[in-house]
Amino acid sequence: MVGNGLQGHASTDINFAKPIHFMHPDSNLEMLMARYQEGDFAAATALIDRISPQLHRFFVAQFASRVDADDLLQETWLRIHKVRHTYRPGEPVLPWFYAIARHVRVDHFRKSIRTAARERRLEDLSKLPVTVPDETGRADELEALLAPLSESQRELIEMLKVSGMSLEEVARATSSSVGSVKQKVHRAYKKLRETMSVMGLRKGQDGGLQ
Amino acid sequence: MKDGKIDEVLDKAAWTPHHVEPGLLKRVAASIGSSMQPVRPLPPTWVLACGLVLICATVALAGAARAGFYGFEKMGLLERALIFSTVGILTWVAATEFVHEMIPGSRRWMSAGTLLGMVSALLVCVFALMFHDYHTDHFVSVGLVCLVTGVLHAVPAALLSWFLLRRGFAVNSVSAGLMAGTLAGLAGVGLLELHCPNFQATHILVWHTMVVPVSGALGGLVGLAQRFRGRV
Repeated sequence: MVGNGLQGHASTDINFAKPIHFMHPDSNLEMLMARYQEGDFAAATALIDRISPQLHRFFVAQFASRVDADDLLQETWLRIHKVRHTYRPGEPVLPWFYAIARHVRVDHFRKSIRTAARERRLEDLSKLPVTVPDETGRADELEALLAPLSESQRELIEMLKVSGMSLEEVARATSSSVGSVKQKVHRAYKKLRETMSVMGLRKGQDGGLQ
Repeated sequence: MKDGKIDEVLDKAAWTPHHVEPGLLKRVAASIGSSMQPVRPLPPTWVLACGLVLICATVALAGAARAGFYGFEKMGLLERALIFSTVGILTWVAATEFVHEMIPGSRRWMSAGTLLGMVSALLVCVFALMFHDYHTDHFVSVGLVCLVTGVLHAVPAALLSWFLLRRGFAVNSVSAGLMAGTLAGLAGVGLLELHCPNFQATHILVWHTMVVPVSGALGGLVGLAQRFRGRV
């Protein structure tokens, strides 16, 4: 199993390494960010093109509709633009983006709770199905896979496994420690194992009946 | 089901490209393009932390200069060294964490609650080690004066700290408020140690230390209010 030096749990064999196919040339992003801070519109556009699909997917994995994700993406970029001076060259850029995206998401979540569904409790919301069929009537595979997880577990798995961030970067983005991230990921994997085992069992039973 | 199998499934799912409507990306680019201008990044953490420590020291010294350095004059050399070095180190730690809280994606060593607990606990330990007069004369009346004085001096320290970090961005306003309050509370404690000549152990352990949690709680409440007003 490939490791990134942060693997510490002996009890399981979760791979905390970045998925190779999604590994970002982070230095390139940092360079674009530095140019964006200097007022280079081309660099800003390049960043929007590069980062937006990741952030959009991050929102889709948390929310029920792509329309919400579209709104959140726009709101996130406006916020990023407003506070772009808070990024400091040399620091990892993805945690900075994701920290702001999380803030926008949580803010949006609180506002929607306050305005639209006062009577609905937060716990009930987290139990709602997080995936909806897309235009073709087929739910996104990743969202369906992450659906049984809690909101915080989904965002961690999304950052770690889909966006290809390291444990350290995820910890920075979520304002927590590496140990806490590891613990949450282990719990998420436990839940995924259970869910996938049940799914596998059902498939087997269905196959047997046919 | 093995974890490796889950990784495989996640990797496979992650391979699926996620498309964003090109029109949306154009709208985003257009919306930020109209206000595109160079910005100056924030200074390094240590510079901002030095500024915060300076603010706390200034507030404590200015307050003591106005009220008198009676506590400092009454202390022995060991008490002075241990108490002020502890307050100084804790102020530095709180300042660094507060700066990190105001910069998205920064490395965090501890949460705001942990910081508040750690600062309070360490102050209690140092005070318990240094003061052994267990009389309790006018415990509440004198104690309340110290608590109010400490908290009142924490207010300008907190306001100046917010001013110094006004270009920062708190992703969690409650946590940021709690940290600002803790830091400002240390300025209040610093002032009390310089000024208060009452060396009764219970007085210092309870009322002087209490400045930090009270100030931290007030900061947290301000952060909560900011969250509800949607300004942070």
